[in-house]
Amino acid sequence: MSTGSQDSKGQGGSPLVAEYVLGLLDSAEHLRVEKLIADSPALQKERDFWSARFAALDSEFSEVTPPARTWQSIETRLFPTPVRASWWDSLALWRGITGGALAIAVAAVGFSLVQPAPDSAALTTQLVAALRAEGSDVQFVALYDGSGAVRLTALSGSEIPDRDYELWAIQGGGVPVSMGIVPVTARSVVELSPAIQAGWGEGSVLAITLEPKGGAPNGIATGPIVAQGAVTRI
Amino acid sequence: MTMQPAAREVADLIARCALRDRDAFRHLYDRTSAKLFGVVLRILRDRGEAEEAVQEVYVKIWQRAGQYIPGQTSPISWLVAVARNHALDMLRARRPATDDIDQVLDLADDMPTPDRVAETNEDGQRITKCLATLDPERAEAVRGAYLDGFSYEELAQRYAVPLNTMRTWLRRSLLKLRECLTA
Repeated sequence: MSTGSQDSKGQGGSPLVAEYVLGLLDSAEHLRVEKLIADSPALQKERDFWSARFAALDSEFSEVTPPARTWQSIETRLFPTPVRASWWDSLALWRGITGGALAIAVAAVGFSLVQPAPDSAALTTQLVAALRAEGSDVQFVALYDGSGAVRLTALSGSEIPDRDYELWAIQGGGVPVSMGIVPVTARSVVELSPAIQAGWGEGSVLAITLEPKGGAPNGIATGPIVAQGAVTRI
Repeated sequence: MTMQPAAREVADLIARCALRDRDAFRHLYDRTSAKLFGVVLRILRDRGEAEEAVQEVYVKIWQRAGQYIPGQTSPISWLVAVARNHALDMLRARRPATDDIDQVLDLADDMPTPDRVAETNEDGQRITKCLATLDPERAEAVRGAYLDGFSYEELAQRYAVPLNTMRTWLRRSLLKLRECLTA
């Protein structure tokens, strides 16, 4: 037997757990003791005993302020989706997304892609619109995948009693054309009417207004625009 | 264990982190990052590595916040332990393995389990008192292992003694220390 364990006889046990807590053991031994401790409540007590006693020395670690970038790095690591506002403001980011990265971006905002997944050629012709407005918490993302329908996902916003959200298409500076009522609590698919389809493309604007229950009377928007965004090629 | 109001607040912040409260996490970072950066910097002795380490430490804290049990350790001790262990893991990973057979020690079965695990203020003074009962150099070596993450090799160099002598010193010192702490 080793000197160490002979020492331990009659002296209240081996100091192996104390060495473990101090960090004196090499990698292999450290792992071995870690496993022993995991399997033994008595050794866990021993570890906690040493940890707690040595912790009294913690006050001797002096404080050193880390650089400001440290927090940003932590945030980026833990919460990879950037803060909504800054990300949302950046349509350039959307434009910059390549076909390959689209699936990731779409997953990040909770979109479900059409099944089967569109091929990369189809992806390159996709259009996207980010819908938001100053002072409103209603935010949608719209994706057009070339199928004749827009897939709409609400990112934020809540239902309002006796009111409905209505989606509009504005093309070539013309009057808004209703695309129907859309839910704010679920994803939806909105078919493009032939009239909208005709002028549809980059530069078309999608808007959402708050309307009386059932939608704008006579097909003319009456409520405030709570979100809008231009259709952009990605 | 009774907690100081400041410790209580840190414990609450950790609890809220376990509930995925990002604001609480930010506050926890603001309150504790200087301490934890101090810990990893002292052990790693390299600013760049310490910056990297402290990021990883807070990632772990966010992920493991639910494992903190108030009453067993003070919240600051728990946080320091996460930081200290992370820094030691980094050091260990790059140290060569020792071929020391002595290290494969048996853990005595008849080891009496400590009555009290949790620390109290009284216990805090106690380790200082018990360290003072050791030969000053050996007490310094124990403190160096805890506070600076010194390995046996580094301690042997520092005190200019053979490696095995340092091991024997330290193991005896730890047994004495345990005796004193449980007395």
